[in-house]
Amino acid sequence: MRGAAGRVPDVPRIEDVSDVTRQAWLNFPVFEHQDAPFVRPARPLREARVALVTTAGLHLRGDRPFASSDQTFRVIPSSSPAMAIVQSHSSIGFDRTAFMRDVNISFPVDRLRELRDAGEIGSLARDFYSFMGGSRAPRMMERETGPEVARRLLADGVEVVLLTPT
Amino acid sequence: MLARVFEEAGLSTTALALIRDHAGRARPPRALFVPFPLGFALGRPNDPPFQHRVLRAAFDLLAAESGPILADFAEGTDAPVEVLQASEALAAASPGRTTPVEPKTLGPADEVTALRGYYEQWLADHDGRTMVGLTGIAQRRWRGLIRYLEGYAAGSPPWYAEVPPDLPLARFLRYAADDLKAYYFEARMARRPDQVDNELQRWFWTETAMGDLLTRVASRMAASGDAEVALYAKGIAR
Repeated sequence: MRGAAGRVPDVPRIEDVSDVTRQAWLNFPVFEHQDAPFVRPARPLREARVALVTTAGLHLRGDRPFASSDQTFRVIPSSSPAMAIVQSHSSIGFDRTAFMRDVNISFPVDRLRELRDAGEIGSLARDFYSFMGGSRAPRMMERETGPEVARRLLADGVEVVLLTPT
Repeated sequence: MLARVFEEAGLSTTALALIRDHAGRARPPRALFVPFPLGFALGRPNDPPFQHRVLRAAFDLLAAESGPILADFAEGTDAPVEVLQASEALAAASPGRTTPVEPKTLGPADEVTALRGYYEQWLADHDGRTMVGLTGIAQRRWRGLIRYLEGYAAGSPPWYAEVPPDLPLARFLRYAADDLKAYYFEARMARRPDQVDNELQRWFWTETAMGDLLTRVASRMAASGDAEVALYAKGIAR
């Protein structure tokens, strides 16, 4: 485990990825920071209310699919069955067959229910949320839609948020 | 970025990160770098014990007294680092050419019909779960959709009532392609459970008439002169 003072290593397996991918990763406009806001949980996880928020471009079947650079969000009730969830992420740079085989590969809703049932997590939020990642200038997400989801989570009593990528 | 927004609002966050370089630069409050390919954030599909280990490692970061903190998950997987793209699959199958190795026996519409039994097997095996469904076009009307895509690829798309008037054409084409791919991949996984990851990509792009059709649709989109349409083409085949 590396803390804030740790050295930041190279992109993982940079020698393994293709030139196209390497350039895409290196040139992606990351919002760079040295520090981060840091809220320590008031209670242990076994008592906390937990929400899942993903940037994998997921939504309920029949909900509005995501568009390229879309910075809006979709609500996915935490009780949704896996079969109700589909993906409309705009990237081609990942293998969707993993998600076809198992929704938990990027949206671990079954795994969180199991951890709750085992008493490791206090409770699950009423609603989970999905954005679509990969936006090169996510201003709306930073200023509008992200804070809106934060307000909704706080209103639901959520304390801990697990964030998962595509 | 979302982690910072949430934390500033008073929530505690822990994030899985697939690109360590990005996490190292963005410095979210708590991140667990998972050394898996994009699309495999929890590591291994249908492996609950493995996925639980990933989640526990991410939640363990909540005990840290200060941050930002970036930890590494200790286990890897066998999945290929990158997804095989159409051009790579075709080049490998037929050096020097970008067209399929040989003409397909069936056209895409008949191929869809031929795969129906396997697709239904997939549904039966997965409690009805499928990734097909972005366009909302019923599968019994896909023959018309395929006729439209054939026309688009040939430069003369016929009038087609199923294109929603409020949806940009680029997005309609993309959603249609995603539905067709999902149908093919799910049918193939039902037929050949031993094939995973890039074996499925190789099959789709080199052995199916649908792979050929979507490659041609993407080429036509890329050459359309419309920046948005060309952008969406990259999401269909490249």
